[in-house]
Amino acid sequence: MSRFLVNPRLCFGSLRSGRSLWNNLNIKTYIGRQVAVPKMVFSGRLFSSTIPKLDHIEDVPTLHPLLVKRAEALTKEFATLEKAVANGAFDQETSVKFSNLSVILENYHRYQEDMGNLASLIEIIETEEDEELINEAVSETNALISSLRKTTRSLEARLLPPIKHSGKPAILELRPGVGGSEAAIFTKDLMDMYINFANHMRWKHSVISQSFTGQGSINEAIISIDEPGSYDKLRHESGVHRVQRIPSTETKGRIHTSTSAVVVLPKMSEGNESSLRDDEKSFQPGEVRIDTMRAGGKGGQHVNTTDSAVRLTHIPTGIQVQQQDERSQPRNKAKAFSILRARLAALEREKEIAEQRKLRTDQVTTTDRSDKIRTYNYPQNRITDHRCAFSLHDVEGCMAGSRLAEIIEKVEEHEFEDRLEQLIASAAA
Amino acid sequence: MTRISSKVIREAYKVSKLLPPLLRATKNLDLAKCELQWIKRELPKNKWTEAVIRRSNYEPLQYVLGSQPFGSLDILCRRNVLIPRWETEEWVTRLSDMIRQHIKDTTQLKILDACTGTGCISLLLHQKLSEEAKYKTDILGFDVSYDAVTLANDNLNKNEPSWSLEKSSVTFRKSNIFHWSLNDTAESFDLIVSNPPYITREEYSSPVTLEGVARSVKLYEPSLALIGQYEFYEKLVDITVSTNAKAFIFELGSNDQATYVEKQINSLAAGWKTKMYSDTADKIRCVLGWKKDTVWDFLVKF
Repeated sequence: MSRFLVNPRLCFGSLRSGRSLWNNLNIKTYIGRQVAVPKMVFSGRLFSSTIPKLDHIEDVPTLHPLLVKRAEALTKEFATLEKAVANGAFDQETSVKFSNLSVILENYHRYQEDMGNLASLIEIIETEEDEELINEAVSETNALISSLRKTTRSLEARLLPPIKHSGKPAILELRPGVGGSEAAIFTKDLMDMYINFANHMRWKHSVISQSFTGQGSINEAIISIDEPGSYDKLRHESGVHRVQRIPSTETKGRIHTSTSAVVVLPKMSEGNESSLRDDEKSFQPGEVRIDTMRAGGKGGQHVNTTDSAVRLTHIPTGIQVQQQDERSQPRNKAKAFSILRARLAALEREKEIAEQRKLRTDQVTTTDRSDKIRTYNYPQNRITDHRCAFSLHDVEGCMAGSRLAEIIEKVEEHEFEDRLEQLIASAAA
Repeated sequence: MTRISSKVIREAYKVSKLLPPLLRATKNLDLAKCELQWIKRELPKNKWTEAVIRRSNYEPLQYVLGSQPFGSLDILCRRNVLIPRWETEEWVTRLSDMIRQHIKDTTQLKILDACTGTGCISLLLHQKLSEEAKYKTDILGFDVSYDAVTLANDNLNKNEPSWSLEKSSVTFRKSNIFHWSLNDTAESFDLIVSNPPYITREEYSSPVTLEGVARSVKLYEPSLALIGQYEFYEKLVDITVSTNAKAFIFELGSNDQATYVEKQINSLAAGWKTKMYSDTADKIRCVLGWKKDTVWDFLVKF
């Protein structure tokens, strides 16, 4: 392999010819993560019978020019940061930033190197007469492309602006939407699905609170998933989930459509007695009103109430959180504060996203949580995610938690492309 | 007494047939739902009906379930011993947080808990000071009732396995506050805490709407732990002075009792400051006192 490796410093010289080659290849799109290259453009020799084929030449991964620009900017930032660190400026924040940047740049340099090598390899294949040499070059190119794909992917993920709170655990809130008791039954099914999913992923989880309606079906459920980073996976679940099936309560065999709303929040604190102090400190005095529902009379030894409900009102936003699941009032308070902080964090993120959208000139489909994001069609054994138009034909497997990951992966991919597009659009504006 | 409308009863019956009897005791559907949930969570299924019947006869839920959360602890509760109140939990938590904040010397803290009942105050103080903040504390709790001392020891045994009682100690014993003399313990204390009986006879016989006592309290909790006026505070101030304590905090039920303590301590000893404390329901709940120019001066911010 080493026979054709080109010194990275020298490769810029040969890159010129490489670039012209790219132009010839008629690169169609950058956004689709890989470059679609029509085979026809290659000289026939590449695909003649005596020479092994270039397996993946159609999808040579490349970095979008905008991301390249961002990487260059980061290189400059890294240089100034390096100087600062050398001068003795050292704290938690800079060291984290420093290590993050160095990983990105390391990947970026490898990418540049690989690109240069690839260009010169292709040049060899194009111009060389010796068949054996060409054979070797082709096999080397194949290896290079696969390594390039890996580098590009990780680089792309790192170069996009980071998602806030992505390293946090998650809180899931589920509430039935339209559809009466069937919606409540479906909400319970969804809750079981997420618990199964958490079990499947071996994530620690607990039910923070659940309340029931008259018929014993769920009115509201709040689950805590205590795995750091689970928010990043589960945040795609926020939105309205729609179910189409014959409810167990239906006597005439008609198919009903009902919905259930899922809200995923980043968990900002543990929600126990020891985290309560910090939670309380994170608010200004007077920012949160704490109501405890205590009976009248003289209190103290005169009465022995079991009422431990706590209601928090965040005055600037009007958000209310009520907790009454625990017998201990301080524990209810701690849980309520944890949920309040999570809701505020989610609100902040939503605001940010809305602001970013405003900057964009083109029309985009909203991913508001008022939109239905997914349909669970039982008769057709199909689950369709409307954001990425992906259908999974295994309702049972998904509800058992084992195949939900597939859907989430597809949505993740879709979101990734969306964000890339957004970055490009905002840079163009 | 508020009457429960038949509509609410029907609504409750739809949820569960165990719910309407609970309404009788709670008068409030939301609370009844919570109580049913706790009964189902903490008791085996074959005991649910019995528990609901007991509760519908106004028996306190804490006796039915046998426990009450108190701070981070779970305190066992039994008949003949007063159930820990949330007001007490509140001031004990506040007190221990302030001690942790202001008293830097962790080497020695001797606390006397008079009329300890379930032992909840002693145990929570030990948990918050000794276990969580590494103070060396010696806490002595006493009560006149045999049942109370037994239960306090049970509560101690329940929590002991998770504690490291190497340097610190919690002890309970049976003593009558009115026969209490310095000879009982030859030593002195830094802090006296107490939640003595403070309901007057008059209040005890009137309904809760007229500043009286709730039905379940009157029917099921021991009057020995409830009825008292000034006599306990007189004795508590005596103990404070005779044991050379630097500070005290007593729970109480009325302004009169607070002013009584204030007068009493100033007539017996010089250099004491006092303060009244109201709970989050804005009812007067405690009287505090401390010797001026000691580490306990921070109590002015209580």
